[in-house]
Amino acid sequence: MIEIKDLHKSYKMGSNSLHVLKGINFKVEEGELVAIMGSSGSGKSTLLNILGMLDGADSGEYTLDGVPIKNLSETKAAQYRNKFLGFIFQSFNLINYKSAAENVALPLYYQKVPRKERQEKAMQYLERVGLKPWAGHLPSELSGGQKQRVAIARAMAAEPKVLLADEPTGALDSKTSYEVMDLIQKINDEGNTILVVTHEEDIAHMCKRIVHLKDGLIVEDKKVEQVRAEQYV
Amino acid sequence: MFDRDVWQEIFNTLKTNKLRTFLTGFSVGWAIFILVMLLASVNGMQNGFVGQFNDDATNSVFVRTGTTSKAYGGFEAGRRIQLKNDDLEYIKQTFPKDIEYISARYYANATARYKSETGSYSVQATHPGHQAIEKTLVVAGRYINEADIVNKAKVAVIGRKVAEDLFKTEDPLGKFVEFNGLPFRVIGIFTDDGDDNAERRIYAPVSTYQRIYGNTNEIASIALTYNPNYDLTEALEFSERLEILMKRRHKIAPEDQAGLSVWNYAEAFNDISSFTAVLKGIGIGVGFLILIAGIVGIGNIMVFTIKERTKEIGVRKALGARPSQIVNLVLLESVFITAISGFVGLLFAWMILAAIGPMIETPAFSNPSVNLSTVITATIILVIAGVLAGLLPAMKAANVKPIVALSDK
Repeated sequence: MIEIKDLHKSYKMGSNSLHVLKGINFKVEEGELVAIMGSSGSGKSTLLNILGMLDGADSGEYTLDGVPIKNLSETKAAQYRNKFLGFIFQSFNLINYKSAAENVALPLYYQKVPRKERQEKAMQYLERVGLKPWAGHLPSELSGGQKQRVAIARAMAAEPKVLLADEPTGALDSKTSYEVMDLIQKINDEGNTILVVTHEEDIAHMCKRIVHLKDGLIVEDKKVEQVRAEQYV
Repeated sequence: MFDRDVWQEIFNTLKTNKLRTFLTGFSVGWAIFILVMLLASVNGMQNGFVGQFNDDATNSVFVRTGTTSKAYGGFEAGRRIQLKNDDLEYIKQTFPKDIEYISARYYANATARYKSETGSYSVQATHPGHQAIEKTLVVAGRYINEADIVNKAKVAVIGRKVAEDLFKTEDPLGKFVEFNGLPFRVIGIFTDDGDDNAERRIYAPVSTYQRIYGNTNEIASIALTYNPNYDLTEALEFSERLEILMKRRHKIAPEDQAGLSVWNYAEAFNDISSFTAVLKGIGIGVGFLILIAGIVGIGNIMVFTIKERTKEIGVRKALGARPSQIVNLVLLESVFITAISGFVGLLFAWMILAAIGPMIETPAFSNPSVNLSTVITATIILVIAGVLAGLLPAMKAANVKPIVALSDK
């Protein structure tokens, strides 16, 4: 599903440049649930940004579902993001004046799905995250866990190939975190490919594979026995 | 572009920033208000000028003579040029197609007496055609006719003021009034919209006065109206031909205006038109400058809005919004604010003009108003202004980098 070869990325910081990714090689198969771990400054967010086509790499190859991702125009990148990727953010990033259902329908709007179909699909995904009764509520009327569940529904609504989650539980207490992880695991059980960036060990162990990043290099890549979040809920 | 989601977003931003939207919209509305008012004022001035000139037929031409200022054709400068009856006949025969009405003018002063009342008035001795040229309104009796000219009849058409002065409450028609001791029968009374002074005038047949003053065939000036179907160029071309022929006939240097001049109302109209055109230009210029301030204001608010919504725009881009969709959103919002506030300004200006415009009726300024074309132009300007105001902020928004917008730091 995802294939990365010798990926380099450096940022210019005034006169000197900061080499963040120093040659990453990494492969993700369909249906995997991968945790990307590392301390801050290890390059994990940069890697996720490149995977999410929010940023470009300096050198190296990136193939997503057989499509080479290189030198994309803004418009093309927007199309690929819409088609291939679903984002889940630490701070949810819901649009605050749109109801839960409208937020979920937004990626479909950019796919030019007709309004009625959009609404139906949004309701369907809200139901899957267990928030159908809250469809008409604004994000300000929802709890943190509910917001993240709306965000997950939004990420899934466009039926992407890969879900990218950047610290999805970073802003939540542990109980809510486990609820969210439970949801992510269930989505993964249905065959969806998911990448989770996190620095929490327990969250990482709820994935099936852990990739450790340190100073811009992968230092460890191991399959783990998945801890089901269900038991903590 | 015009789907419900876009509008929902626009209304939402406007709703959450009511005061800011109002203040910015006000600047554009105000600018359009001033622009329309300025144009209406220029219109009012134009109406006023035209009203002034309407007193005379607008297609009139006057031929006047004086003393030559240049030596020409073997004659020295300083020769007095005198028009005669045959000049009038000559013009009539030379330009049969160009001339509508023609009349000679002979000026005199008369001390008029009726019973114990006396007064001093100016007399214009004319042909019947003069009535149409001067747009004299005969309110009682009749004007001079051809028979009066042929018979050299001692008849007079007196102004309303003259009638009031001499006859008080009596009906002057048919009564005899003495001009410098000679009895003239009053055949008509006229009024003049132009001014009161014109109503202190007396019209008499030109032939009568020529006989009284030494059986002469001299005339002071010639007044005529040209074919009313002529446009400005044709009219000017005609008066030019007339001038050339008259100067040749009297052996005057072609450029000598002191010897003989042909004065065409169309020229004055032309001058007024260009004068008001300049005023209009100034009005539009000033209005535009004010409008620019309004546009900058809207642009400012849009930049601000986008700064506030950077994160939201980043999220949208992460979800697959294309740059062009973001640009559309911002431009539409900008055009919307500009158009709505501009229309309010336009409506206000229009209402004020409709209410007080018709009441304003002074010689130099009357009925300021705007026409449909001004309104349409203003609307187009507003839409363009909205696009201009939103363009820079929209491009800024389209360039928002999702990672920068999404970083939680």
